[in-house]
Amino acid sequence: MTNLLKTMEINVGPQHPSTHGVLRLVLELDGEIIKSCKPVVGYLHRGIEKMAESRSYLQYLPIVDRIDYLGGFFNSYAYCDCIENLLNVEIPVKAQYIRVLCMELNRIASHLLWLGTFMLDLGASSPLFYCFRDRERILHIFEALTGQRMMYNYFTFGGVRFDIPNEILEDISSFVEDMPECIKDYENIITTNPIFTSRCVNKGIITKRNALQYSITGANLRASGVGLDFRKSCPYLTYDNLEFDISYADGGDAYSRYKVRIFELYSSLKIVEQCIDFIRSSSEPILNKSVKPVMLNIPEGEYTSIVEASRGLTSCTVKAGGKTPYRVKWRTGSYYAVQLLPELLVNCEVADMMAIFGSLDVILPEVDK
Amino acid sequence: MFKQIYKSILSLIIGHLTVFKHAFKKRVTLEYPEVKPKLSDRFRGKHLFDIDKCKACGMCQKVCPANAITITKSENGIVKCYSIDYGKCIFCGNCAYYCSLGSVKMGNDFELATDDKNSLKLNFTKENK
Ligand code: SF4
Ligand code: SF4
Repeated sequence: MTNLLKTMEINVGPQHPSTHGVLRLVLELDGEIIKSCKPVVGYLHRGIEKMAESRSYLQYLPIVDRIDYLGGFFNSYAYCDCIENLLNVEIPVKAQYIRVLCMELNRIASHLLWLGTFMLDLGASSPLFYCFRDRERILHIFEALTGQRMMYNYFTFGGVRFDIPNEILEDISSFVEDMPECIKDYENIITTNPIFTSRCVNKGIITKRNALQYSITGANLRASGVGLDFRKSCPYLTYDNLEFDISYADGGDAYSRYKVRIFELYSSLKIVEQCIDFIRSSSEPILNKSVKPVMLNIPEGEYTSIVEASRGLTSCTVKAGGKTPYRVKWRTGSYYAVQLLPELLVNCEVADMMAIFGSLDVILPEVDK
Repeated sequence: MFKQIYKSILSLIIGHLTVFKHAFKKRVTLEYPEVKPKLSDRFRGKHLFDIDKCKACGMCQKVCPANAITITKSENGIVKCYSIDYGKCIFCGNCAYYCSLGSVKMGNDFELATDDKNSLKLNFTKENK
C-alpha cells in the first residue's frame, strides 16, 4: 500500500508516436524517475513464422520482406540463402554484387529513417525532413529497380529477378556522390549541438558486459566497444572482396550509437561505390537457371543463414520438409534491444526515456514478427 | 567553461546556417493528387489482364502467397472469369513474373482505396475486358 502511494504506474503506448510502431511500456514512476519498466510486445504479431508452414517456399518469399519493412532486402537475402544452401546451388557473382548493393543502400535508407525519427523524438524537426528527402532518392531507385518502394520481392532463389539497367546505376552513382555532403550537413546540425549532446551523452549506457549478456548485435553492440560485424567476421556474399571499415565506439551511450550509425553511412556508401564498378563491368547472368523455384521439393534438412542487417544480426533457420518448410525461425536484432529496456531505463528520468529508446533503433514488426 | 559556451554557440550558429542553406534547395514534394508522381515501368500496381492470352494453366494461382486469384473455367478449359481479390493481394508481383504467356501484368494504378469491400474484387471476363 505504501509503495502504491509512493509510486505511480503509467502506460506509454502502444499508440505513442515515439514508440516507432506499437510498443507498450508500463512504467513505474517515483516522481520523474523511472523505477521499473515492463515492455509489452505482440501488438504487431502477424504469425510470420507460422505462415511459412502452409505455403510453398516461393509463396513465402514475398512475405519475409514484411518482417522488417525498413530492411526488406536483409530478410529476403537470409531466406534465399537458406534455400540456396539447402539446394546446394551457387549464385552468379554479379547477382551477389547486386545483392550487396541493394542491402547496403537499404542500410543507408534505414539509418536515415532512424536518424530523422530519432531527432524528432528529441524535438528537432529539420533533420527529419532532410533525412526523408535523401531517403526518398533511395526509395525511387528501389522502385525503379524492383517495382516497389519497400516490399521489394526482388531476390529470388538463385539470384535476383531483374538486371540493373544503366540508368539506375547512374542514379545510384549520383546519389553516392551527393550523399557525403548531405551527411556532413546532418553532422553540422546535430553532432555538436549542445541540446543534442546534453540529451545523449552518458544517457542509456549499455556496458560491454550487458550488451554481450543480452545478445545485442549491430550498431548497438559496436557502440559498446565490441567490434563485431558479421560482414567482416564471417563474410557472406562478396564482402571479403570489398574494402570497408567497421566502426565502434567505447561509450555505450546514446551518443556513441549515433556516431557509429553515422560512420556506417559512410562505409555503406564506400561499399556501394565498389559494387557499382563491378556491376558495370560485368556481363554475367543474374540468375542461376538451374533452380526451379515453383516446383521446389527440398528433402529434409536444416540450414541457418545470418546477415548483418541494419538493426543487428538477422538470422533465418529453415527446416525443410518436402514441398513446404517444416519450420522457419527468425532471429532479429530489435527483439533483443527491447529486452534490454527494463535494465536500461531504471533510474532514468521520464524525459530521457524516448532519447534512450530511440537511440536503440528498435522497430516493432521485427520484434513481434 | 567559457570555452564550452563558445563552442556551443558556434555549433548553434553553424547548425542554423546549414538549415538556412537548405531553405533554398529545390522543393521535392508534389502537390498530390493534382500532380501525380512519375512511376517506374516496373511499378507494381493494379493488375492488367489479357483474357485472350490466358490458357488457364494455374501458375499464377500456384505462386500467389495470398490466394488472391480465382480462375473459373468453362467445360472446354477456356477461362470464363479471372478474378483478383484486392482485399487479399499484397502486390508481390509473383503472378506477373511467373506467367509465361504474359497475360497478367502489373499496371500503374495505385489509387485503390475504397469504402466498399465488394468493389475490391476485380473480375475479368470476355465481356468486360
Ligand atoms: S494468367 Fe498466366 S499463369 Fe495465370 S492461368 Fe493465365 S496463363 Fe496461366
Ligand atoms: S500480386 Fe502477388 S498477391 Fe497479388 S495476385 Fe499476384 S501473386 Fe497474388
